[in-house]
Amino acid sequence: MAGEIQRQNSHIYDYIGGNGYDREDQSLRRRRVSSPASDQNYPHFNWDSTPEDEDEDSDGGPKRDIRCIPLPMHLRRTIREVQQMRSPAVSRDVSWRGRQMLRKLRNKCKEFLYFFSLWRKSVQMIGGNFGGGVQSYFVFLRFLVVLNFVSFFLIAGFVLIPSVVFRSVATNSTDILAVDNNLNGTNRTAKCKVYEVNQTTEIYQYLLDFLSGTGFMEYSYLFYGYYNITEMPNRDSYNIPLAYILTAVFYFAFCLICIITRMGSAARVAVATGSSTGVSSYSMIVFTGWDYGCLGDRATKLKQKNILYQLQVDLEEESRKRHEADLSTSKKVILYSLRVLMTFLSLGFIGGAFYGIYVATQFSQETTDKRKIVQLIIQYLPSMVITAGNFVVPLLCDKLALVEQYSPSTTIILALLRSVFLRLVSLAVLLSTLWSRITCYPEQLKGNCTLCEYNYNEFQCWETRVGQEMYKLTMFDLLITVAVFLLVEFPRRLVVDNCSCKPVQWVGRQEFVVPSNVLGLVYGQTVVWVGALFCPLLPAINTLKFVILFYCKKITLFQNCRPALRTFRSTTSTFFFLVVLLFGWGLATVVLIYSLSEIRPSYGCGPFHSSNTMWSTVPGSFHNLSNVTQEFLFFVGSQAFSIPLFALSIVMMCYVIALATVYGRSIALLKAQLKLESRDKQFLIKQIESLSRQAHIPTHRAGVQD
Amino acid sequence: MGTTASQLSKESLSEYQELTFLTKQEILLAHKRFTELLEKHEKDQIDARVPMGKIITLPELKSNPFKERICRVFSTSEQKDGSLTFEDFLDLLSAFSDSATLEIKSHYAFRIFDFDDDGTLDCADLEKLVNCLTGETNDAKLSSTEMKQLISNILEESDIDKDGTVNLSEFQHVISRSPDFVSSFKIVL
Repeated sequence: MAGEIQRQNSHIYDYIGGNGYDREDQSLRRRRVSSPASDQNYPHFNWDSTPEDEDEDSDGGPKRDIRCIPLPMHLRRTIREVQQMRSPAVSRDVSWRGRQMLRKLRNKCKEFLYFFSLWRKSVQMIGGNFGGGVQSYFVFLRFLVVLNFVSFFLIAGFVLIPSVVFRSVATNSTDILAVDNNLNGTNRTAKCKVYEVNQTTEIYQYLLDFLSGTGFMEYSYLFYGYYNITEMPNRDSYNIPLAYILTAVFYFAFCLICIITRMGSAARVAVATGSSTGVSSYSMIVFTGWDYGCLGDRATKLKQKNILYQLQVDLEEESRKRHEADLSTSKKVILYSLRVLMTFLSLGFIGGAFYGIYVATQFSQETTDKRKIVQLIIQYLPSMVITAGNFVVPLLCDKLALVEQYSPSTTIILALLRSVFLRLVSLAVLLSTLWSRITCYPEQLKGNCTLCEYNYNEFQCWETRVGQEMYKLTMFDLLITVAVFLLVEFPRRLVVDNCSCKPVQWVGRQEFVVPSNVLGLVYGQTVVWVGALFCPLLPAINTLKFVILFYCKKITLFQNCRPALRTFRSTTSTFFFLVVLLFGWGLATVVLIYSLSEIRPSYGCGPFHSSNTMWSTVPGSFHNLSNVTQEFLFFVGSQAFSIPLFALSIVMMCYVIALATVYGRSIALLKAQLKLESRDKQFLIKQIESLSRQAHIPTHRAGVQD
Repeated sequence: MGTTASQLSKESLSEYQELTFLTKQEILLAHKRFTELLEKHEKDQIDARVPMGKIITLPELKSNPFKERICRVFSTSEQKDGSLTFEDFLDLLSAFSDSATLEIKSHYAFRIFDFDDDGTLDCADLEKLVNCLTGETNDAKLSSTEMKQLISNILEESDIDKDGTVNLSEFQHVISRSPDFVSSFKIVL
């Protein structure tokens, strides 16, 4: 019986293995191959196995996925028939039926989603022609488009549509602004409630107002100031202020969940591979480096050049590291002091950029000018300074990196961190300047805030003003992208293609630099998050902006760009993009919390004009809930619930950490055992050879196989 | 879909769906592309074989440096000439599809890289592999010292039992640590 199985198995091996089994020489490999039990290389199907003892079989349960057996299709078909013949009762098993239905359902869902996948063909073509790094940028952009689109539906459903409905229905709504008993002192209320909007008069004014959100756009659904509480006849009407706040909070939570879910698979991979994310080892490059989705000769040659470059750089880095370890002490000291100096210089550049943004924001808020064009420029000044800073400072830091002489991977990571820092903190400086003006933080403005608790003289409706600032940032970003696309990238390609003088060719066609483009996306999305509370339609505008951006970038990529020589790894970069997006989300959350709880809402506009803070609406309506719900929520928030929950999470975390340590240790043990086994095998082979030589028996294939 | 759909019966379609990782649309598309490669008189045969020379004219395989190896690995012909039937073609697409497991992909990747079909990757296999990856016809290729250094580094990293070759388990161990492999080992029509 055993011999029969062996013969059957070796038949499969011969069938699959080709010529390797016909050689007559005495190599170690052949010995390994000829004993079926220890063969690890080719699929071993146990024809003899019965369903009962397949639970102990390492191949898995009785319905091990037939597709996972790496044999040709007609063999798989035979195996399936054998399995079905042997266990006909299993096919009526309820759990198996359930599993089949589940699999069919999953397949149907996949087919359904296949049609809905946005821009699938474009992204595939980009990946085939330009590699995984560039493709990950477009996949990230697509994710943001979908996120903004779905958030728009959220906001529209809970805030926009009810407002529209109430405005049109409530014909006899007395203007709530006039009926307000909560404020003491009619002087203050009368003065603070005045909210005047400049009307658009001339034709060209429409364009300027469209770009800056003033005039006809200011008192519209676009901004916070338009949403009012309209009193409805019955008491249990839709509470717009509550809906507004809860929608904003839920929008943030929803975005967080989406990002974390998307990070989920990438994080699992990044954690599993551990330290090897930064280090690309040689076997990794050689075994996994080829992208089989490459289309066309150009992309293939590019990929080959890429891999060659990577290998050469790694080999060179290794030899340089060996060399550097032999550097004299004095050279080391010089190198390190240079690095420290460059770090300070780069921090200095970044600090200079921040100061410039601060000054520009102050200037922009303080000055007004009669001429409309100059006024527009002044209004856009902070955005312009931020864009200029984000353009100039990374260039300077790149030059610094040449002096620092870190290894290439460290250089890239440092450059990225500096850019992230620059972008997000420059936005934070802009926001804090704005907020300090609203709350009269600088000394000279203290007088303005005494009357209405916020800077009434400058901001009659400060929320709309903040919304306008964010709107301006978004529009400016879009305009700059389109302008650069039309006026810089196309002409550059035309010049490079038609003019063959040296300096032009040295500059060359531009490269699609993924990291800076991704940071631009993160910046745009952070601006939208900050502004979403004050400008509810901003996610919709952002969706349109990102769709336009997708097509612009795609056209530029195919027409104007030359492929980059040094590419970004795709999976680790996806994880990195999402981490940076989380930083932006964190910044926006801080802003949201501060605005909701610290600043007094405007008297003159919006749904919260009668509350002390925006958040106080929630506890107010809390008391309208039923008693049972109140008790339940109190219990959930109390210590009796949260402390045990906290303790339980700590216990779970300790358990998971312990499990991971045990797995790591068993992997190391198994590796050591493998080494030992192979050494044993080699020792035994040598023994057999020496013994057989002693006994003068020629070693032959037949003699070995019993 | 006209005549091609009638050539692929419903039972075979559902059977292929069960036996491979492909979805219904992918199988139909594969059938369409495969029949385009057949000669007129072969279009009605069940087990028609397409020679390797025609398979490698497919745009997805045309510039792949491993195209001959891929055809040979998936071919079930007696003469080992790399010709594929429709079922071999489906096997190929299934292994390179989106939903194939890491196990299947690494198994076939190993066989593709095993240029001499002996079940392990030795120095000669590794050298041929590196030349395919970097394009040995270019002027810029690795010098022989660099190549030696590279191969010894690879063996040092992946050869666990130190026998001078990389076998399937060691290969799969390296692959399992790579985050990009599953997404790059993909061919979609």
